[in-house]
Amino acid sequence: MTPDTQTSQKNILRMNFRQRPVDGIALKNLIQAGLIWLRTNQQVVNSLNVFPVPDGDTGTNMVLTMQSALDEIADSAERNFGKMAHSVAHGALMGARGNSGVILSQLWRGFARAVDSQDFLDAPSFARAFAAARDTAYKGVVRPVEGTILTVAKDIAAAAETALGHTDDPFTLLEFVVKAADQSVERTPELLPVLKDAGVVDAGGKGLFYILEGMLRYANGQGLELPVTAVQPLSAMVLGEAIETIEPGQDVEVVVDFKPHSSLDIEDFYRTLEGMGTSIQVGEGDGLYRFHIHVPLENQYKPIEYAKSLGTFTRVTMENLIAQMEDLEASRGGSKLTLAQVEQNQIAVVVVSPGRGISRIFASLGAAAVVEGGQTMNPSTEEIIQAFVNLPTDRIIILPNNKNIILAASNAATLTVKKVAVIPCKSIPQGLAAILRLAPDGDFEAVVEEMTAAINEVVTGEITTATRSVEIKKVSTKEGQFIALLNGELVLAAKNLEGACLGLLEKAHADHYELITLFSGAGISNIEANRIGDLIRQRYSRQEIEVKEGGQPHYHFILSIE
Amino acid sequence: MTREDTPYGSVHVSPRAIATITYQAARSSYGVVGLASKNLVNGLSNALVKDPTHGVEVHYDGTHLNIDIYIIIEYGTRIASVASSVSNTVRYQVEKSLGLPVNQVSVHVQGLRVSDLD
Repeated sequence: MTPDTQTSQKNILRMNFRQRPVDGIALKNLIQAGLIWLRTNQQVVNSLNVFPVPDGDTGTNMVLTMQSALDEIADSAERNFGKMAHSVAHGALMGARGNSGVILSQLWRGFARAVDSQDFLDAPSFARAFAAARDTAYKGVVRPVEGTILTVAKDIAAAAETALGHTDDPFTLLEFVVKAADQSVERTPELLPVLKDAGVVDAGGKGLFYILEGMLRYANGQGLELPVTAVQPLSAMVLGEAIETIEPGQDVEVVVDFKPHSSLDIEDFYRTLEGMGTSIQVGEGDGLYRFHIHVPLENQYKPIEYAKSLGTFTRVTMENLIAQMEDLEASRGGSKLTLAQVEQNQIAVVVVSPGRGISRIFASLGAAAVVEGGQTMNPSTEEIIQAFVNLPTDRIIILPNNKNIILAASNAATLTVKKVAVIPCKSIPQGLAAILRLAPDGDFEAVVEEMTAAINEVVTGEITTATRSVEIKKVSTKEGQFIALLNGELVLAAKNLEGACLGLLEKAHADHYELITLFSGAGISNIEANRIGDLIRQRYSRQEIEVKEGGQPHYHFILSIE
Repeated sequence: MTREDTPYGSVHVSPRAIATITYQAARSSYGVVGLASKNLVNGLSNALVKDPTHGVEVHYDGTHLNIDIYIIIEYGTRIASVASSVSNTVRYQVEKSLGLPVNQVSVHVQGLRVSDLD
């Protein structure tokens, strides 16, 4: 089935929806539609937040409240409209989050009371319910502030009352209401100076508008998954960042400028583009449209053909993303890091890492933030604080991975209100041993103790080049020789890398251990790293040997022996 | 009494001033229909008195600023959400006005006002 026929079938189903009596099941569908549309536009609502009050974003709070309302009725087959409305109100009450969520739950409570045990919803009871919602919401506050969601609730109740003079169809009434909500939201900055100063409209009011509009869109058979506000001014299109979000399978970036013959149906336009690829952005200016899309190689001409069918194209640019990504990775020394997402009250680990490869390994083990740094490039206390200050949790563990950084990390711990522990790991292998013991939801003290204990269970070897001739503890080295350090102590000097590696393992009594991991440094090619890995495998056939790309400077190899 | 010494003199902020900020912040929070005094046992008739610090206690021991608020909430709202909103708003407003970190905000729900029964 093509997307087009799918949509038209949905349309037929929903045209009927408007003609059917509005019972409990219909309300359930409407609630779901309101939630989906709110969620689609959640970031728009979040972006309107004026106060940095830490109880979360308005859009998120409203979504969670509506989600709780939907969860309450998800398994219900109640046909009675009033009873279903009471369940909705109960669910919203139980899940009310933040100020806007509490007000939303009060609106539903008033709404439900007005339609008490009514079998169906008609226009007069709909208007009565909006009025009751307003009344109940206003009762919850001593000094109602105008220019908020309360004002919007008041304006839509008035609009519903007016609409009664024109129609007896509940959905036509809803059309009036949605329009009034939109206008009311636009007026909020006039009533509340703090909004005007920030150049935004009220977030809670906007959220309420989306819920109602979502219901109307559902009744009209319009899509709910795509924000219609996505057309932006041409100058605002940020195409540079698009490449960062490349998805597998999307190989070609196509940007097309065109002038449509007739006015463009944006939703339809989006839907067609969605069928071709991802990362869609659309911009418009002076009648000229520009769209940006990532498509698989075999679809690379489709967007252009499509633009030709709509109008005259003026310019096309096409770029091979795969080739670009390779260049980008080469210049950065690795692909983008995917750090672990921590939630509130979880334990977050901040890692100081000397190279991209090592950062990636830590990230894959659950590090929430990475600070670049290591031998001769120690990060400042400030850099360490910056790494975790914005994490959504107050429980932080820092892995300095170098003895020169432990002090800066300890200072960072004293300069923040967050609860911070520094694990005194002096090397990358110790840091890795520690992070393997991370339990993000565990008891903070217990996890710190566990991780601290883990660092002594691993032996660290490092291979580097001597920067001057010196004799320490009967090991004499000449400048330019390869030297091996075992747990930070100089143990031998060698003429070549393999000599240094094998000698080090011997000194470390590697044959008594199980696992040897090599992290190759920035100047070591994969071929060289694998060659040395193979030599070690021959010598230590009973141990497991792993070779990983570390990317650290100065140290040709870091070895972890455990 | 919180104070800040500068070469030009000193600034004193009385607990009563902090209490006033707290009172206003709490009153404008959604779900709060009044503040009640700590020892009010019977009846909530005094809920809406004019004293701008009624129902608020500010404790400052030289390092920590602790605030206690005694509130009455509208029946039918989610009490935990309203209380945590009050706590957040009070903390935000006091810290914004004073530039002084608030150690602890304790919200005491002294009663509910019933406007409508479900």
